[in-house]
Amino acid sequence: MKRYFTVLILSLLALFSLAAFAAKVGESAPDFTATDSNGKVQKLSDYKGKFVVLEWTNQGCPYTRKHYESGNMQKLQKQWTQKGVVWLTVVSSAPGAQGYVTAAQENDYLKKMNAAPTAALLDPKGELGHLYGAKTTPHMFIIDPSGNLIYNGAIDDHPTTDAADIASSTNYVSQALEQASAGKPIANAATRPYGCSVKYGD
Amino acid sequence: MPVRSLRVSLCAISSCAFPSAVVLACVLLLFSAPAWAAPISAPHLKVDLVAQDASITPGRTLQAGLKFDLEKGWHVYWINPGDSGEPPTVEWKLPVGFQAGAIEWPAPGRLPIPPLMDYGYEDQVLFMVSIQPPAGLKPGTTIPLAATVKWIVCRETCIPGHGEVALSLPVSGDAAKPSADHDLFAKTKESLPRPAPRTWKQSVLTRKDVFVLTLRTGKRVANATFFPKDEDQIENAAPQQVHSEATAIHIDLKKSEQLLKPITRLRGVVLLDGKAYEVDAPVVAWHNHVARS
Repeated sequence: MKRYFTVLILSLLALFSLAAFAAKVGESAPDFTATDSNGKVQKLSDYKGKFVVLEWTNQGCPYTRKHYESGNMQKLQKQWTQKGVVWLTVVSSAPGAQGYVTAAQENDYLKKMNAAPTAALLDPKGELGHLYGAKTTPHMFIIDPSGNLIYNGAIDDHPTTDAADIASSTNYVSQALEQASAGKPIANAATRPYGCSVKYGD
Repeated sequence: MPVRSLRVSLCAISSCAFPSAVVLACVLLLFSAPAWAAPISAPHLKVDLVAQDASITPGRTLQAGLKFDLEKGWHVYWINPGDSGEPPTVEWKLPVGFQAGAIEWPAPGRLPIPPLMDYGYEDQVLFMVSIQPPAGLKPGTTIPLAATVKWIVCRETCIPGHGEVALSLPVSGDAAKPSADHDLFAKTKESLPRPAPRTWKQSVLTRKDVFVLTLRTGKRVANATFFPKDEDQIENAAPQQVHSEATAIHIDLKKSEQLLKPITRLRGVVLLDGKAYEVDAPVVAWHNHVARS
């Protein structure tokens, strides 16, 4: 037993050293600085006092397309930014990988899709993606006005590429924002994100 | 990468009302062979409805399956796809009285797509399904079986697809002859997770960030890999540390970031030196364990 305990401790240490830092629900959300598609520097700490939604995206991913071609993502962006929520779309695709965009390409896309995030952050080095542990597109995070991470996970409860599923889905982002703004506990604070893998460069 | 909408028009048994060449092909196929099949060819994979035997025997369960042949580097998913993807689905179109069972999922592999870890299959996989024919099948008749299959096939990118597969089999009172896929069925049965032997003791210790799955198998096992049946319990991409003892094996599994509430059971499949077993282990807190041992 004692020997096994030693082995366990050693392996725990090994696990900790390998674990990447990822944003955890209930803890303070890591601050970041990133440049948006209009060249403006965006800092999380600038939005203290507001709810902030982070949405990882990739134009070419069928899971992302499900939510953009149906208009679902744009609807959410409009609905929540009108209520004062800050919505930051993040592109972490590396140059050469699927979904990588220049600032001009991203602005064209936002216009064409009639998208309405507060800003689109360009993260070609994947720094912001790794800081939050973004795994998929889409992958959604919500930060509350005091700077704590209150949601990490999927956009909704139907992990498919079929837009026909949206009508019967529970949208976890809207649910969490509604519950948090009403001062209620969040029913689903962490879910399995679904989508394509984020196309990091390394 | 553009996503193509995969409309695979096949000569489905009931509706050969497509272009005349297709109708002709269907008619020719129907009369040229006692058993015929219509596979799907889609980007990066082929799907085929196959059976273990070349005919249906009255009163006996038919062992059928969906055979996926994948282009190198591409994969489809296990019932728990891991960090991304979704398992294939099947919607059967069978004659009246025929009943299809659920897919029997072979043990998957770990498919790293950094930072993700998916669970699924590369190269070739057979998803076996038992089909129960009705009583009173008449030898000499032909039974048309068909199914709509949906999948998502991924490499670095993912492409969803769907299509219809079909297989027509004669009913025969004679001993069934093996089909061309008979050996694949035999091989697949070997890879299906079997119930854990009753003599085993399974348990899971929970620590702050780690579950330690212990399987007391009574003998030494060198290699072990665990696949969780439920999502959001373990961090799929974390390496699994394995400690082998003379009569037991311990596997350290990092808890999922998504796991906010304690769990009471850890379920899944474990591969022990290449053999797959079902796992359903009670979860015990560390202090309880120490108190008892």
